[in-house]
Amino acid sequence: MKIPYSWLKEFIDTRLSPSQAQEALTMAGVEVSSCRFLGEGFDSVVTARILEMRPHPDADRLSLCKVTDGSTTFGIVCGAKNMKAGDAVALAKIGARLPNGVEIKKAKIRGQASEGMLCSEQELKLAESSPGIMILPEDTAPGKPLADALGLSDWLLEVEITPNRGDCLSVLGVAREIASITGEKVVLPDVSFPETGEPIANLVRVDVSDPDLCPRYTARAITGVTIAPSPDWMRRRLTLCGIRPINNIVDITNYLLLEVGQPMHAFDLDRLRGGRIDVRAPKEPLTFTTLDGSERTIEAGTLLIRDGEGPVAVAGVMGGANSEVVDGTTRVVFESAHFSPPSIRRTAKRLGLSSESSYRFERGVDPAGTVYAADRAVSLLSRFATLSVAKGLIDVGAGNVKPKTVPFRPERATRIMGRAYPPEACREIFARLGFPVADQGAGRWAVTVPTHRFDIEREIDLVEEVARLSGYDSIPTTYPESKAPEFSGDDRFVDIQERAFDFLRGRGFSQAVNFSFVGGRTWERMGAFLGFDPADAVRVVNPISDDTTLMRPHLLTGLLSNAADNVRRFIDDVRLYEGGKAFGKSYVEGQFEEARLGVILCGKRLPGDWSGADAPADFFDMKGVVEPLLLHLCASPVHVVPTRLRPFFEEGKAADILRDGEVVAWFGAIRKELLEEYALAGPVFYGEIRLAKATAAAALPGRYAPLPKFPPVFRDVACVFPFGVPVGDVLAMVREVSPEVVEAGVFDIFTGEKIGDGNKSVGIRVKLQPLDRTLTEPEVHSIHSKIVNLLENRFGGKIRTS
Amino acid sequence: MPGTSEQITRLLEEGMAAIASARSESDLLDAKGRFFGKKGAVSAILKGVASLPMEERKAVGELANRARAELESAFDARLAGIRDQERRRSEGRERIDVTLPGRAPMPGHRHPVSQTMSDVLAAFRRLGFSVQCGPDVETDYYNFEALNFPPEHPARDMQDTFYIESGAGDLVLRTHTSPVQIRTMERMKPPVRIVAPGTVYRSDSDITHSPMFHQVEGLAVDRDITMADLKGLLTEFCRMTFGPATPVRFRPSYFPFTEPSAEMDIQCVLCGGSGCRVCKDSGWLEILGAGMVDPTVFGFVGYDPEEYAGFAFGMGIERIAMLRHGISDIRLLFENDIRFLSQF
Repeated sequence: MKIPYSWLKEFIDTRLSPSQAQEALTMAGVEVSSCRFLGEGFDSVVTARILEMRPHPDADRLSLCKVTDGSTTFGIVCGAKNMKAGDAVALAKIGARLPNGVEIKKAKIRGQASEGMLCSEQELKLAESSPGIMILPEDTAPGKPLADALGLSDWLLEVEITPNRGDCLSVLGVAREIASITGEKVVLPDVSFPETGEPIANLVRVDVSDPDLCPRYTARAITGVTIAPSPDWMRRRLTLCGIRPINNIVDITNYLLLEVGQPMHAFDLDRLRGGRIDVRAPKEPLTFTTLDGSERTIEAGTLLIRDGEGPVAVAGVMGGANSEVVDGTTRVVFESAHFSPPSIRRTAKRLGLSSESSYRFERGVDPAGTVYAADRAVSLLSRFATLSVAKGLIDVGAGNVKPKTVPFRPERATRIMGRAYPPEACREIFARLGFPVADQGAGRWAVTVPTHRFDIEREIDLVEEVARLSGYDSIPTTYPESKAPEFSGDDRFVDIQERAFDFLRGRGFSQAVNFSFVGGRTWERMGAFLGFDPADAVRVVNPISDDTTLMRPHLLTGLLSNAADNVRRFIDDVRLYEGGKAFGKSYVEGQFEEARLGVILCGKRLPGDWSGADAPADFFDMKGVVEPLLLHLCASPVHVVPTRLRPFFEEGKAADILRDGEVVAWFGAIRKELLEEYALAGPVFYGEIRLAKATAAAALPGRYAPLPKFPPVFRDVACVFPFGVPVGDVLAMVREVSPEVVEAGVFDIFTGEKIGDGNKSVGIRVKLQPLDRTLTEPEVHSIHSKIVNLLENRFGGKIRTS
Repeated sequence: MPGTSEQITRLLEEGMAAIASARSESDLLDAKGRFFGKKGAVSAILKGVASLPMEERKAVGELANRARAELESAFDARLAGIRDQERRRSEGRERIDVTLPGRAPMPGHRHPVSQTMSDVLAAFRRLGFSVQCGPDVETDYYNFEALNFPPEHPARDMQDTFYIESGAGDLVLRTHTSPVQIRTMERMKPPVRIVAPGTVYRSDSDITHSPMFHQVEGLAVDRDITMADLKGLLTEFCRMTFGPATPVRFRPSYFPFTEPSAEMDIQCVLCGGSGCRVCKDSGWLEILGAGMVDPTVFGFVGYDPEEYAGFAFGMGIERIAMLRHGISDIRLLFENDIRFLSQF
């Protein structure tokens, strides 16, 4: 909310300068985000009058002007044409620095000296553009600072009001806040005026049929008024505060909204059918045209203002087109009411219509202030408009306004804040706030809270008042009593995740962070390859763009598009990982989410290698990251098995990793169709780990095994297998042949004509090493025979003899 | 026997010449063999000394010994010279260019948001807090109601909310990690001291707002916790995070689930408090929100506000990361451009 400092001064003659007020309010919890001097750049710009004007001797487009500031005459070269001798103008003297940054220096233009500049609205930043220089009203006296002449010797405070402080959404409210900080007094402007018209009861009748939704309804009526523009000062203030001036009647209601925070509405009395106002919520839905011209469907239960025949306004939100003030209006009823906040909020939300009025009613408008606002409106209006005020006012529900009494213990403030607040200090703060205090003995007080403070209902609310008005600076810094922290399951998870991040970092992978969303269009185009039933997807009801339509079922799409983006930027070797959640739905668990770790790899196996081996990365580079990472994290054996269940991978180039029979990760080569979709050429490898699942049960530290004391024996076997035989299974079985086999690995693998189509040759090296002796030749031979037997009979292998 | 003396002198000359002309270690060893090795000519003469007449023995022996000593020392000097030459030659051939890159990928980089999150968590864990996480898809109850955002309360406008399709209704993407407060207090009795990290969502997107971002929320509940404790803890945290000399200020604010509420500002890290575009000329940067747990929140979890007090605080991690690294556009954080990531 924007508030001119001069307006505040009308309510409180504060000693605080604008910037002191900014600081003091901010430090009391009413944040003033900016405090701008409106006359910025107007130093050395004065009003002046053109004495004489003639063409420049050497330039057709320029004129030579003689202008006076009342005491001195200046010769000015000017490029504009819209002025004449006798006009009042804005003169920037030598040394002025204009709002647009231009500095005025003594200059010679085409041989003629220019001792300043005549300014345009644009140069003064008073308008976006201007046709020529600024011509001031004829009666402007020369020699006055332009800022004064334009009412710009003022400051505009921008106040950020938190939702609990609806009472500060006005000049009066902020003035009260200053009073509670400084102890100065708020003085309300006098609102006396003669009531020269007939009794209001003869003009309009008000009924409130739903008093729960409208606890108070006050009205004043005027007659014989002429619709006209408001005076300049009022139009300027409204404009500064962001409200467009309309006419004297509408403007006065908006002015009061800003000044005292009371939203008001003006009805054309002659358009109120039956001269009646009835405040009531309809039992049936209906349609109604608001004054912005839109026809709206009004649900049952929405509070409306009706006249004798039908609705004329949506209460507290917006007036109707059928009763608004128009050019020919002469008789007006001003509504100044209090509506129940939740009801207004529901209505504004349903209609998708938030107005300055509904904004304030939602946050609470002082029910005790309706009469003052109505009187102030009429009194102010009668100063610049001819009118006759009807005798008396209508005030339905005046008896409903009662201040609250809230209990308070000064000791409680001390206990909560960790700083002593002596009772006298609390009493003094309540006095500044205007909260009467009754001491009930035994350290218990009853504090009466005025009706404009909707936010104060409980003792803690009063504690906050005491604390903030004493200043948070005065709170000491202490430390909570030290206790050993618990080590939670989530602490463990955070540690595991850090270990995973460190591992991947060490392997050359950088960390990506993507949104937890998948775009709707991405899903439509690639859903078949994403391996997730759209029916199981978690959907956002109100996405702000296509990109925020669905919650991601895995981390693939984000990392894939990161890879594509980087390749497009000529970074061909991409190694990225991301830790984050995947989302889904299941009939058993409902919505679920799971911690995952995604890894993507494309480009060279060893980026930046200079030894000539710049081979492209392949499947085994990905396996060489995912499998060791799992071992690093869970320290328990995992099994890699081929999988066909993941459509985002190429068939035959995909694997699942199992731990205790449960799938904890998958990896493989990204399917060609997906690569094409992302305009990626080379092979791209991806792995995803179900991080929480994979590391769920902490493996106990393994038991120590004694070290062998005798030398090992190595045996190599070369064997030809049918192509489909999984070598991992072969090695696993070889290790089971006898307890003396302590290692079995592959040292060579190849295919080719020599060994027959559909075959592969695998070289297997075993290490034999019993703990307690050296193996004898016959023992070695016997184990070797067992292995050969296994390879031939179990896996259909043929031993090669070189 | 004058013949023997002359023979020795000749052998000495020849031997010295052979040593001097030796080009390699094997040439040199060859010369040693011929002249003064076990089977060399000088050694043979020495062996023959015993058979010489008495009067010659001494002179010849001395002469031969001297010749052998001279040859040996010339040999040693030449050997050292040849070896030195060899070493220098082979060094030229085998010297390693140590400036070439090592044979393994250079380490990757942490994302600045994730790094900042780690640092923030590490700071609070050192200060005695343990980690608690919660779901991203939350119920209206945990995200709003139990945190004292009643339905139809304007405080709900503070956070633009994404809603999630669901049969039961009322599911949202959490707008803050504060629901973890409620979930934790429902589960355990005081003392409570937790930090809740995680992703949060607001339906808002521009240069400083992202539809998803990260937060850390903290909560401490005990018998004698005060706002002074909160101020002390957060002051310490700001100094750990932004440097020990960073001025901080604490000012009143509003959050539905705390009362009294506060915001903590640090002096602008860019202009040092003199005012700039980033701090909007105020000289201060808002870093986090905090306050004493509102008694209404205790009511929802069955804690007695007369017996217990608590404080809560929350901060946006992207904002802190952006301030630490001078990043002005939040969108840069989610593009995952490797040229950007490599800077951290």
